[in-house]
Amino acid sequence: MPAPETAAPAKLKYAERPEWADVEPLQQYEIANPLAPILYSEEYKDATDYLRGIVKAGERSERVLELTEHVIRLNPAHYSAWQYRYETLVALSAPLDVELKLMDEFADKHLKTYQVWHHRRLLLLLTRKPAPELALIARILQRDEKNYHTWAHRQWLLAFFNEPSLWEGELDFVDTMMNKDVRNNSVWHHRFFVVFQSGVREGEEDRERILKRELIYVKQNISLAPNNASAWNYLRGVLEHTRQPFGSLAAFVQPYTVPLPASTTDIVDLENPPPGRDADLPCAAAIEFLADVYEERGGADNVDKAVELWRSLANEHDTIRKKYWEWRIREALATSS
Amino acid sequence: MDVPHPLPPLARSAHVAYVKHALANLPGSMVSLDASRMAIVFYCVGSLDVLGVLQTETSETDRTSWRTWIWEQYVAGRYGTGFKPGPFMSSSSSNARPAVPCEQDPPHIIMTYTALLSLAILRDDFTRLNRPGLLHFLGACQNKDGSFSSMPFGGGDSDLRNLYCAFCICSLLGDFSSINVERAISFIGSCRTYEGGYGQLPSCEAQAGTTYLAIAALRLAPPAPRPRLTTAERVRSEHWLIHSQDSLSGGFRGRTGKAPDACYCFWGGAALQILGAQDKLNAHEFTQFIASCQFRFGGIAKTPGQHPDPYHTYLSLAAAAMYAPRLDQNEQRYGQWEFAPFDPLVNARVDVVRWARERIPAPRRH
Repeated sequence: MPAPETAAPAKLKYAERPEWADVEPLQQYEIANPLAPILYSEEYKDATDYLRGIVKAGERSERVLELTEHVIRLNPAHYSAWQYRYETLVALSAPLDVELKLMDEFADKHLKTYQVWHHRRLLLLLTRKPAPELALIARILQRDEKNYHTWAHRQWLLAFFNEPSLWEGELDFVDTMMNKDVRNNSVWHHRFFVVFQSGVREGEEDRERILKRELIYVKQNISLAPNNASAWNYLRGVLEHTRQPFGSLAAFVQPYTVPLPASTTDIVDLENPPPGRDADLPCAAAIEFLADVYEERGGADNVDKAVELWRSLANEHDTIRKKYWEWRIREALATSS
Repeated sequence: MDVPHPLPPLARSAHVAYVKHALANLPGSMVSLDASRMAIVFYCVGSLDVLGVLQTETSETDRTSWRTWIWEQYVAGRYGTGFKPGPFMSSSSSNARPAVPCEQDPPHIIMTYTALLSLAILRDDFTRLNRPGLLHFLGACQNKDGSFSSMPFGGGDSDLRNLYCAFCICSLLGDFSSINVERAISFIGSCRTYEGGYGQLPSCEAQAGTTYLAIAALRLAPPAPRPRLTTAERVRSEHWLIHSQDSLSGGFRGRTGKAPDACYCFWGGAALQILGAQDKLNAHEFTQFIASCQFRFGGIAKTPGQHPDPYHTYLSLAAAAMYAPRLDQNEQRYGQWEFAPFDPLVNARVDVVRWARERIPAPRRH
């Protein structure tokens, strides 16, 4: 197995290297009037000529790994090179820890390329050693906190291997990421996945307690940063998932629907943490939530209150969605009359 | 916001020049598109079509040679028949005996979808299409959990993109018999999130692109005794999509809390159309955002000030086409933003979809 250094792009073309003399390079076939042709570099042409050659011959060898790595470095979306590389690794029973180490670099460099993560997943299905992945993922997420593929990889890893030890530190990881950016929706989503959508793990059997814990968590976060759509979506999600009425949160939400009072009391209410002194209020998401509470309660009086709130969103606090709020008003009035 | 800014002009001729240039030549820096050239072809040909200039800006000779290139990527093997992204693994004509064994260069489901649509745009007669082969290919791409891989027998990655393409092709063929529809539908359900949008895979975060794919696939599916979406599910999706419109720019976000991006104007806007909620978004600010993403020298970028690419150019034009009828027609420059009717479900002009639905299914025997 060549070390990653020797597998770096060769200076000489394959056509000039004696160790490749036995391979017949195959040029890419293009018809006379190609569509959207790419102006390939000489290096890419040379490497892919040899890739086509080696694939036609069906060769599985160490040098296939060198060649496919080269092609992938030039074009990380070259799925045929990835696939041929994977099959060759399997055919040679190549050491997969070496391959994963090389792939760490790719994950860092090309974290937005589907193939990088797909290949990684295939390797993990063979090694079945998911634990070291968590640290790598955490490191990559430090750099790109919302990278979709990286989060998806973590979620797959946890759900697929589903080992108690893998889940152990997950809520702490969520907290670390949340402390960096409380508006990172990927973290909120991950929390929901860990708490509600991946089964009930040991120590989490008391769902009443879990619900209470999650409500306190999200309320505190809203108190720190009221205009955070991710937190409000989480709150709605938790209530809907556990079939709790929105009305159970009315007392908490109300202070966020009005301008910040000039003076605030210093009574600490853990159940209903108030907005901070520098909060930008009223908060549109809170107004919408309270309107939903009134709509949920039903009756002409409550519908009137909801309509008034929707009107304030349409005309003042969320004017981009004016048509949407006006539609909500029409619907509610039509249903209640 | 009470007095909307007038819409800037749509730089039609600059966009035409941009996509024609891309069809003729892509720079070496775009080599990562080598394995998805067919999709680029679709974005470029589709842009010309949405702009309504395909007949005037290209010759019959051009269009014939383009169709020839697309059919050149049509391959057959033990997995059935379909289209490859391009000749990146070919060393001889697909019409001759293939030099590379087909197992290493199979058709790709997304490329098959974009090839069929491109051919319909170019008014191909589809006499060369092997329907049983195509159905067999789609079946070979389906996995046990109902999802679809991009290539047969579990090859390539699997997510909602492939599933949507499979459903769309089945719908155009008028034949879902080679795939397990109910299993696929339950896979879509497993991608649904608490936010109301859908993730790319089960347990993934809600994203506007995959939300479109999920909602469109459910609509394309053959009718079932019960609606494919409950009222609560539909309302939640609509709620999340409506809130994806950014209040400052009017553009659409791909995920909660992220910056808007022109391509999500298409994905979010089209999903709302399919849900019948197109009148609930602000079409003027929506179009305003797309207008602001136009690049000075042609093409449309993901955000204002960025460089354009064929993907964002096409999706932005398609998004504008869907919402043009909802603009204020008294608007001074409205005329430049006028388009032929557009089908959000298949992602092509209505007349293209009609052509495809007439010619892609097997000819009826009399």
